[in-house]
Amino acid sequence: MKSQETIYIAVAEKSMIVRSGLVSVLRRLPDLTIQVIEISSEEGLRHCMEAHKPQILVINPQFGGWFDVVAFKQEYPEAPMKFVSLIYTMVDASQLKGYDDSVGLFDDVDSLAHKILQLMNMAGEEDGESDSLSQREKEIVGCVVRGMTNKEIAEKLYISVHTVITHRRNITRKLQIHSAAGLTIYAIVNKLVELSEVKMNL
Amino acid sequence: MCNHTTRMYKPTDKMSDLICENYALLQVLSRFGVSLGFGDKSVQEVCAMNHVDCNTFLIVVNFLGEESNHIHDHLSGLSIPALMDYLKRAHSYFLDFQLPTIRRKLIEAIDCSSENEVAFLIVQFFDAYVHEVRKHMEYENEKVFTYVEHLLQGERLPDYSIGVFARHHDQINAKLTDLKNIIIKYYPSGGDNQLLNDTLFDIFSCEEDLASHNRVEDYIFVPAIMELEKEIK
Repeated sequence: MKSQETIYIAVAEKSMIVRSGLVSVLRRLPDLTIQVIEISSEEGLRHCMEAHKPQILVINPQFGGWFDVVAFKQEYPEAPMKFVSLIYTMVDASQLKGYDDSVGLFDDVDSLAHKILQLMNMAGEEDGESDSLSQREKEIVGCVVRGMTNKEIAEKLYISVHTVITHRRNITRKLQIHSAAGLTIYAIVNKLVELSEVKMNL
Repeated sequence: MCNHTTRMYKPTDKMSDLICENYALLQVLSRFGVSLGFGDKSVQEVCAMNHVDCNTFLIVVNFLGEESNHIHDHLSGLSIPALMDYLKRAHSYFLDFQLPTIRRKLIEAIDCSSENEVAFLIVQFFDAYVHEVRKHMEYENEKVFTYVEHLLQGERLPDYSIGVFARHHDQINAKLTDLKNIIIKYYPSGGDNQLLNDTLFDIFSCEEDLASHNRVEDYIFVPAIMELEKEIK
């Protein structure tokens, strides 16, 4: 499985040696594209929450004395973030309430990758699916580049708008093309449409 | 811009060593307005000769060499005007030099004869991308930097904060990713491979350069402005 979606992980740890170590392991995990934000101070953590939206926060439970997950969640209720404790010293069990998972100094690559997939609900997803477009998907590409709306496509192919959206999402994932303009070029190169039919909206 | 972690540099290091150990720093040099031919002078000396704030220069250099997204706060000695000047020059480098150069090479590399309708589309696509980058950077030049200039004079413009910018500082790379994918996966073979591959190489390095430019904005510039905002309540 190869997940193209970037996962944003913030690492809050004051020890530069531990932080850099974890960060370089995270960036090398196979099959995952991870962007790491490094945080070394409480101020930095606040900046991070104001400006970025990490999906996972890996944090030393003793960050800033004692990191209170519950209070933090209340402070940033709109961020659906997962909390992972980074443990390498003796920590009282009472300090570990509210965390979704934990990592330690001796976690290996596989277990770390597994934990992240679990947290992101991505375990086992999209396994073994081919990257080539189905006939139906090709039809939809043709419609999209002719400038049809989702509603028009749904009516033409006798399917629901919801189904059209699902198809389009799968097309984007398979082709790794995100814009309508990019799709247009793809469609012409692959002879799904003629240039004259295309509604140019580059 | 820098694909590997490099050592940290000090004011007393030789400027020529900096460049030889990491040639990507050439970009930083030109964006700070430092010209070559500095002999064996130290970073400090070269900066002084070129009226460049040495602290800010080294903060940027060391950040880029760190190859990480470390949120920098309480940076001592960072000059916001110097950093802003650097960012502005970077904008004009991309818009007035790098992207037009790639466009010229792209046109030369793809077969622009009338039978090749895709070539025309690709160029149009590239132009749409450049347009997006231009909009993004002009917004920063006009809105963000103006806001910060007022802030530096102790005045807070209403209805704006750097947080607004930070939250909407989207990656403008989706279009470029598409362009790369189309050329790599779907461009009809034949024609001058060398030139096309070379152009693609430029697109990749331009993308990387843009990404590190954005990193400087997100991890040095934004935190510094957030602190400034707190001082000027």
